[in-house]
Amino acid sequence: MNAADSVEALLFVADAPATLENLSQALALTVGQVEQALEVLNERLAQQGPLHLVKLAGGYQLATKPEYGQVIANFLKPQRQRLSRSLMEVLAIVAYRQPLTMAEIDQIRGVQSDYSVKALLERRLVQELGRRHAPGRPLLYGTSQQFLHQFKLNDLSQLPELESVEPQNSLLSLPMESEVQPEA
Amino acid sequence: MCPQEIYFCFHRGAVPKWPKGTVCKTVIQRFESARHLHPSYPSHMAPRHELADRKDRLSALGVIAPPPIHVQSPKFDGSLATLFSFVRDHKVDLLDIPLFPICEAYFAYLMQSELRDLDEAAAALSALAYLLERKAWLLLPVPDPEPDFEEAMELPEPTSHEYRVAIEALQMWHEERSQLFFRAPEAGPDPYELPYTLANVGVGDLARAFERVLRKAQPEPLTTVRPRKSLQEQMKLVLLTITNEWTKLEDLITQPYTRTDAVYWFLALLELIRLGQVNARVSEDEVEFMRAGSPNPLSGRNAKRDGE
Repeated sequence: MNAADSVEALLFVADAPATLENLSQALALTVGQVEQALEVLNERLAQQGPLHLVKLAGGYQLATKPEYGQVIANFLKPQRQRLSRSLMEVLAIVAYRQPLTMAEIDQIRGVQSDYSVKALLERRLVQELGRRHAPGRPLLYGTSQQFLHQFKLNDLSQLPELESVEPQNSLLSLPMESEVQPEA
Repeated sequence: MCPQEIYFCFHRGAVPKWPKGTVCKTVIQRFESARHLHPSYPSHMAPRHELADRKDRLSALGVIAPPPIHVQSPKFDGSLATLFSFVRDHKVDLLDIPLFPICEAYFAYLMQSELRDLDEAAAALSALAYLLERKAWLLLPVPDPEPDFEEAMELPEPTSHEYRVAIEALQMWHEERSQLFFRAPEAGPDPYELPYTLANVGVGDLARAFERVLRKAQPEPLTTVRPRKSLQEQMKLVLLTITNEWTKLEDLITQPYTRTDAVYWFLALLELIRLGQVNARVSEDEVEFMRAGSPNPLSGRNAKRDGE
């Protein structure tokens, strides 16, 4: 039983992205050894079989290859959840400016966005991060792990850079969740 | 003269028929004085044939003119019909005209005319109702001035177009992602949970240990807002504190502690036992804890009730 097979077994049963730390803890291997095993597994899966290794949402997961997408869709008949233009716009604003309040989203868009934010919350693409220390203690919103998963992103730094977004509002300065006042 | 230096009089000469002082003494007196001021006016009500000639009595409003109730005040001097038209055209500030005496005068007119001319009375009532409504609206507080719609409102500049590139990228990635399929969380069986052992520790032992700790807890500080602490953070703290030596719960908790702290510590220990990261045992009727992975966790001095 080599490390690559063990990693494949763990990823096969995992229903969420497995981090390097989780894998190394389960396999009693160092992070470096796990990375090496993942590399071997990735090469092997790329050469044969319908699965491939995907790095997303801060971890690794096994997924079917895109060329099998149509066949699987015919079999599973999944409900496609298309995002409208307005939802996508709000999602992009939240992704780049997080954490931010509803009023700030409204100001950027020039229209009310409460319905869009509510829809994104229901789809778990956006989550509440806490409250701002300001009059009224407005809720702060940010993207969720589900957002990374749904858009096949490993982390927020993979979003395209926008020249118009000010550096202080860029993703590099995003506060950790613990820095935001939690909801009382 | 009343304090507001206003008087109202009817130009009709009929004397009011109610006893003086019963309704409005000052108004009646003014009626009488007004009658003397206009002696040429007939002392009886106009006959019906005069009323038939409506053309002469049609006001500028196109309705039957109200009775010639005279209104005199520092800011306005004229008939009720004139006051009505002035207020309508915003030529006089209604706030400067007290309406109560006018209403009294109208009431007196009704009493003395004995409703001989309903059209005329109705016209006066309409005019008065209009004035009362206008004044009521004027007296209501207006918190915010009405916005001037002729001026362009300053709306924030929509800047969402700056995210056009990001939106297009997200749409493309979302489409690509829809071609990938992962194991659904609900597809498999219930997640396998590692069996944990409480060795010789029973629920009662844990409850007694928790009760002892709670008894020694300090009162809660009086703070309005307390930062929320997650159980995960508490578990990290417990793992940092707990050693490979068997330790009692009260010795484990950082002193001094409150009841809330004690609850957090106890819950974190239970969760760590469930995850197999902490071992527990009963020794001399006291529950002791130790970090898991230590050699021979049941090798305590007086490990009782093995197999419980």
